[in-house]
Amino acid sequence: MAIDKIQSESINLADNFAFTGTVTGAGGANTPAFEAYTTGLQSITENSYVKMTFATEVFDTNNAYDNSSNYRFTPQVAGKYFVYAKGISDPSAYENGRTSILKIYKNGSAIEHTKYDTMTGGNTDSDGFTASTPSARGIVDMNGSSDYLEAYFLLNTWNNSGANVGSKQFGAYRIIT
Amino acid sequence: MANLSTKIKMYCDANGVSEVDFLNDVMLQDDSDGNGAYIKEWNLSISQPTDAQLSAQETAANKEEANAQVRSTRRTAYGDIGEQLDEIYKDIDAWKARIKSIKDANPKS
Repeated sequence: MAIDKIQSESINLADNFAFTGTVTGAGGANTPAFEAYTTGLQSITENSYVKMTFATEVFDTNNAYDNSSNYRFTPQVAGKYFVYAKGISDPSAYENGRTSILKIYKNGSAIEHTKYDTMTGGNTDSDGFTASTPSARGIVDMNGSSDYLEAYFLLNTWNNSGANVGSKQFGAYRIIT
Repeated sequence: MANLSTKIKMYCDANGVSEVDFLNDVMLQDDSDGNGAYIKEWNLSISQPTDAQLSAQETAANKEEANAQVRSTRRTAYGDIGEQLDEIYKDIDAWKARIKSIKDANPKS
C-alpha cells in the first residue's frame, strides 16, 4: 500500500530504517546525462582551437548529445550541470609538443574556469613534451532549451607540423541543487 | 598547403609585427565541419588580413614550415647541449665537423 502521509510524532528520528522495497519520489535523478569518447586520433590544425569529436556514446539518457554532426550537448532540462572533458595530445615527433589547451565552450564561447593549459618553458624542441593530458571540468548553468556545450583542443608544436589528439572523453550530468 | 597560423605569421612579419601570440593576439578556430580553420579573434593593431592577402603568403609559409622541419631535425641530431659542451671541451674541431655534417645533410630551402 502506498504511504501518502507520515505522522512526524510517530517516527523516532534516532531509529534506523532498513528498507527492503523500493523508495520512490525521494531525491532526484542526475539526468539528462551523457558520456562519449573516441579512441582514435583526431588531427589538430596547428595553433587553432579545434572542436573535439566524440563518436561513441557510453550513455545518453535523454538523447541530448549529438555524436555524429555538431558534437554538442544540448540538454532540454534547465539546471546546473557538471561537465568534463579530456584528451591526450600526440605531437608529431618526440619532445615536439609546446602548448596544449583544452577548453569547454558554452554557446560558442569558452568558459574560462574549464580551461587547462600545458606549456613548456624551454626554447628548443628538446624541451618539449611527447604527450600531455589536458582535462577540464566545471559546473555550468544551462537554460534547458538552446544552451549547448562543446569541447575544443589547441596544440602547438615546435616545428609547426601539427599533431593529433586521442583518448578523448566528454561528459556532463545535471546536479541536484 | 601551409597552415593558416604560418601564413598569418608571414603576413604579420611583412607588416612589422615579428611575434604573434595565438593565445591572445589572434585566435584561430576549426569547428570540425570540413571548412578548416578560420580567424575567430584578431587583436593586433594591424588590419586583419583578407583571404587574398593570406593566399599571397602561401609560398613563404610553405618555405617557413619546411625550414621549421629542418630546424627540428637538426636539433635532434645535435643532441643534448650538455653533451655538446663536453664535445667542445674535448675537441672543438671534431664538434664543428659533426655540426657541419648535420647542417649539410639537412639543408634549408
